[in-house]
Amino acid sequence: MTQSTPVASMTVDAGSAAHTAAAVSAEELSFSYGETEAVRGISFEIAPAEIFGFLGPNGAGKTTTIKMLTGQLRPKGGSVRIMGRDVGRDDPVTQAQIGVCFEEKNLYDAMSGEENLRFFASLFEVDGVDTDALLQRVGLADRAGDRVGSYSKGMRQRLMVARALVNQPSVLFLDEPTDGLDPVSSKAIRAVIREEAERGAAVLLTTHDMWEADELSHRVAFINEGRIYAIDTPENLKLQHGERSVKVRRRDGAGVHEVSVALDDPGAGDELRKAVQAEGLMTIHTEESTLENIFVEMTGRALEA
Amino acid sequence: MNLKRRAAIVRAIVAKDLREFSRDRLWMVLTPIMLIFYVGIFWLLPNSVDETITVGIYGRGLDAVAEEALQSDAVATEQALRVVPFESADALEAAVVDGTEVEGDDGKNTVPVGIAFPDDLTAALAAGEPATVTIYVDAAVPAEVQTAMSAFVREATYAMAGMDLPVTQPQQQLVVIGEDRAGNQVSPQDRLRPLLAIMILLVESMALAGLVAVEIQSRTAQAVVVTPATTGDLLTAKGVTGTLLAFSQTVLLLLLIGAFGFEPLLLLVAVLLGAVMMAGVGMLAGSAGRDFMTTIFISVVFIVPLAVPAIAALFPGVASSWVQLLPTYGFIETIVGVTAYGWSWSDSSVYLLISAAWCVVIFAAGWFILRRRVEAL
Repeated sequence: MTQSTPVASMTVDAGSAAHTAAAVSAEELSFSYGETEAVRGISFEIAPAEIFGFLGPNGAGKTTTIKMLTGQLRPKGGSVRIMGRDVGRDDPVTQAQIGVCFEEKNLYDAMSGEENLRFFASLFEVDGVDTDALLQRVGLADRAGDRVGSYSKGMRQRLMVARALVNQPSVLFLDEPTDGLDPVSSKAIRAVIREEAERGAAVLLTTHDMWEADELSHRVAFINEGRIYAIDTPENLKLQHGERSVKVRRRDGAGVHEVSVALDDPGAGDELRKAVQAEGLMTIHTEESTLENIFVEMTGRALEA
Repeated sequence: MNLKRRAAIVRAIVAKDLREFSRDRLWMVLTPIMLIFYVGIFWLLPNSVDETITVGIYGRGLDAVAEEALQSDAVATEQALRVVPFESADALEAAVVDGTEVEGDDGKNTVPVGIAFPDDLTAALAAGEPATVTIYVDAAVPAEVQTAMSAFVREATYAMAGMDLPVTQPQQQLVVIGEDRAGNQVSPQDRLRPLLAIMILLVESMALAGLVAVEIQSRTAQAVVVTPATTGDLLTAKGVTGTLLAFSQTVLLLLLIGAFGFEPLLLLVAVLLGAVMMAGVGMLAGSAGRDFMTTIFISVVFIVPLAVPAIAALFPGVASSWVQLLPTYGFIETIVGVTAYGWSWSDSSVYLLISAAWCVVIFAAGWFILRRRVEAL
């Protein structure tokens, strides 16, 4: 396995989204907890309407980075700009433009879902927030009046997402938004994330689910031990680091045989033709590397670790 | 962001806190029960002090003379006395020592003072020989009454014999419970009032501590400070909530126990200072608490020393001068002074200043510690 060198600073064309002014800009961002360096000089930008996947195992520095981006932590080094404005602690102007969905389900249990949304809307000075529509979007309309304390884990997670949207934020920070959700709820939340990006919001998404990151993100960043190892579109990463192959299965009198043909090898065409023309052909599958495989290849560390 | 906007945010957080408080079954049950219980206890206690002292007398044929002499002496000492005759010196001594109640003209009473004239008093006086009159005095009887009793015996015997007699007291330890307030006694109701007020304040500080602890432990504070609400807004709101809860319920209690008869504004200022102080205590305890039990435990650690000045007011004379160093001392003195002695603003000014200084110190400490906790989330 070959490990990559961390990327200190990188500007990548992310398609149409990346050509506009950055909604989020982090430059040489660093932070330490005492002697422990949690984030070591990372830089990236997120454009409006872009979904930016932030991928890394636990303890990689994702949450610390989000805390710096949302003004909860003051960086020890570097700078953060949200919608062109430097982020500082307790900066109401910047914070009026962001929505945050935390990993912890930090909701007021004694209040109903609707009351939770109304309270946060009042902090954003959003008059007449349409809580019904928000709750409808996350599938909680029928439980709007129930106390959050009676909600299941998945319902609380969906309410967290709805809460992050009360102010129609320009920048949306979503920390593991589908964690613990059933497939139907996850699909609904992914739809909401896409809708928000289509509305023009920049979305920073952290997730352990590589399929989800691949599915949703315009670009992804691999972060490990406080460093960014790669920033690119999932397709480019897979093209650059993955191994394209075709797997052919056939059956004969001796049993089932499987042949894997690496498409980048010289003579791959002949080898593939021979495999396909053989008798007893059962299945042909194209294979490409997953983001998880690429992450492990680049960092030497599994995502779930 | 302007002040109006900041005020609106603080108001929204306070409204949310009060809504949470109103849905907490523990506090919603505890608060009215506590109020009813405290008010009930207060009105069950007497609102005046019975200054009449029952004096037991033993002396053959001397009861009438002694009573007449006693009453004239009581006028001189501003002490009301009731006289109860006894059949024997032993019965009189037993009544004083045991504290048993005896039947008199106006019902049953204990006999804290007894005077036993010797059986041979008349003969001894006639023969010009000395005789001994014994005075039994309960430990709770003020020293001035004991002195008065001795003087009375001298006067009475001098009137009968035309000569002084030696008057001896049995060896009894003299312990005066509470501050001697002869002629200026504080009724049990007046003495209990500050204790009830401080208990309500302290309990409401625990309610705030609970709200703060939940906000920290569930990390909802983190969700609040990533909105346009600043950490300062959140802390201000906690201070306002704690002050509102403590102030409103203490004022309600004081209204129910009839404390606003004199200088109501002065009393309100004192309660407000106490409420702000308790909001600081609530923020401190809530910041340190890890869960409900630790929050309650930490609150109790604060409650005990803060209640000491009120306990001292309940039992005047037991406290030492160090009580004056406790943060609630000024508050308690003001409550006692205004409600029991009709203090004016000038009488209370020193104590209000002491309370205000402690308010600033404790609230600032609560603010600082809670700020650190919120920022560490």
